[in-house]
Amino acid sequence: MEALNQSKKDMLTGSLRSLYQSLGYTRFSMRRFEEYALYLENKRFLKSESVLAFTNPDGKLMALKPDVTLSIVKHAPKERDALEKVYYKESVYRLAPTAREFVEIEQMGVEALGAVDAYTVAEVLRLAIETLRLAGLDHVLDVSHMGFAAGLMDAAGLDAEQQARLFQFIRQKNAHELAAEVARMGIPPQYADKIDLLAGLAGSFPETLRRAEAMVVCPAMAQALQELHTLHAQLTALGLADCLQLDFSMLNDLGYYNGLVFQGYVQGSPRVVLSGGRYDLLMRRFDKQGDAIGFSLYLDELTHVLAEPSQWDADVLALYQPQDDVAALNAAVFALAAGGQRVLAATQAPRDFRARKTLRFDGQSFQEVT
Amino acid sequence: MLSIALPKGRLGDKVYQLFRDHGYPCAAMEAEDDRRLVLRDEASGVQYLLVKPSDVAIYVEHGAADVGVVGKDVLLEGGNDVYELLDLGFGRCNMCVAAPVGFREDLSAPLRVATKYPAIAKRYYAGKSREIEIIKLNGSIELAPILGLSDVIVDIVETGATLRQNHLEVTETILPISARLIANKAAMRFQAAAIQPLLAALQTQTSEGAKA
Repeated sequence: MEALNQSKKDMLTGSLRSLYQSLGYTRFSMRRFEEYALYLENKRFLKSESVLAFTNPDGKLMALKPDVTLSIVKHAPKERDALEKVYYKESVYRLAPTAREFVEIEQMGVEALGAVDAYTVAEVLRLAIETLRLAGLDHVLDVSHMGFAAGLMDAAGLDAEQQARLFQFIRQKNAHELAAEVARMGIPPQYADKIDLLAGLAGSFPETLRRAEAMVVCPAMAQALQELHTLHAQLTALGLADCLQLDFSMLNDLGYYNGLVFQGYVQGSPRVVLSGGRYDLLMRRFDKQGDAIGFSLYLDELTHVLAEPSQWDADVLALYQPQDDVAALNAAVFALAAGGQRVLAATQAPRDFRARKTLRFDGQSFQEVT
Repeated sequence: MLSIALPKGRLGDKVYQLFRDHGYPCAAMEAEDDRRLVLRDEASGVQYLLVKPSDVAIYVEHGAADVGVVGKDVLLEGGNDVYELLDLGFGRCNMCVAAPVGFREDLSAPLRVATKYPAIAKRYYAGKSREIEIIKLNGSIELAPILGLSDVIVDIVETGATLRQNHLEVTETILPISARLIANKAAMRFQAAAIQPLLAALQTQTSEGAKA
């Protein structure tokens, strides 16, 4: 029998759980809150800087967790050769993207920490693709490599503050203000021309990779492209590359992320639904020798696109009389429900109630209303 | 079908003409008495939405429109999570601080600032470490200093005629403003085939405009 009362979202989380477990990822559960200091020290890692804080009975400032990855990294093994693969399904508390109000957001994701090698990276990227695929909607996974833009900026001799300023325009694909800022900084033309192109360097994988290759000015950039090229070749061989696109305007914070970064979109949802990347630098901040890669799926962003408003409130409206025998009625109602139908037993139809069919109890069993 | 949000009013009319001249006409947009807010043209594959100027970025951010045209002032105030693809180069004006002619600032007290743009004003004065008191108004901002409601105003200034008539003058220019083409982030993936040609067509226009 088909899982009758499961919403598409419940089924998706069930399938994702099986998928992650089948590849050896174990469930990681955590408390709802952490010390506030954890988020204060790493606020640039967070999607939004606002954190919902409160004081615990000992006077310590705590926060409802706005992020899952920081907690997982904190618990990761210290040694370089250890490997920990975990998945989670947790609530985080953030400011709503469009209103100045805290909301609870449901996330599901995976993290691989420790001895992350080329295979692990490919595995996590494939899991991201499979995750989008299981949502059952048209999807795109944008991929980029932090080493490309960072390499170019380092070669041009820009400091962290200048890079952050340029990153902000690149992320918005704001080529006009990027060019103005680049000109104001007096960056030498052989670099300036290339930085100007970053905002628009996006599109199909092979073509964008070709355009990027013409921009290489240092080994870090070449290495970033090599890594992307290899990943693309691997996923093409597996027949999974159709949804991949390159977008070098996608940049995470340089203090935490290095290497591969990616973001997923599904048709019908206006915002990013999946986001992830390689964050070895976050591990270093917690004194961990190993590397790390992971992603999370924003289940809330999928709520509207996966919703399937039912035409019916129930399959069967089972009407009875107040004086009917309770034991007989009970047996008949449960027998109906055991057949896999959604049954509402009532003496009269609730207001605006829509049932596929209405049955009436005749003292022994339910009969069609004629 | 590409969905385009335009600001109702003068700026929207000008933007529509620009889009029409670059291959995105819509007959209903030119009908005098058409008061519909959603206007489609199957042949050019576009649907225009006419919305309040300050709402354009909201429609785009939430994906109700794929692209839109909006003043930089609205974008800065709203902080919407959208791509800003192009400076269309018209609707030019400046975000300014203006004060009564001859105004002398009293640094020993918080500055009272009347504005339609509290976020921009807050950011600007925070950058100067100046303590302010914001008075949020929705129109006729120039009235505030005249009546002593505020010391200065933060507002967009086009020609300065309204300021002059009310005995106000620009004391600081915060930043230049113009109309921007914005796009929804997911639409840039799923509607790229429609958005890229529009962007390319408008780019030639703005680079010509810059040369002229």
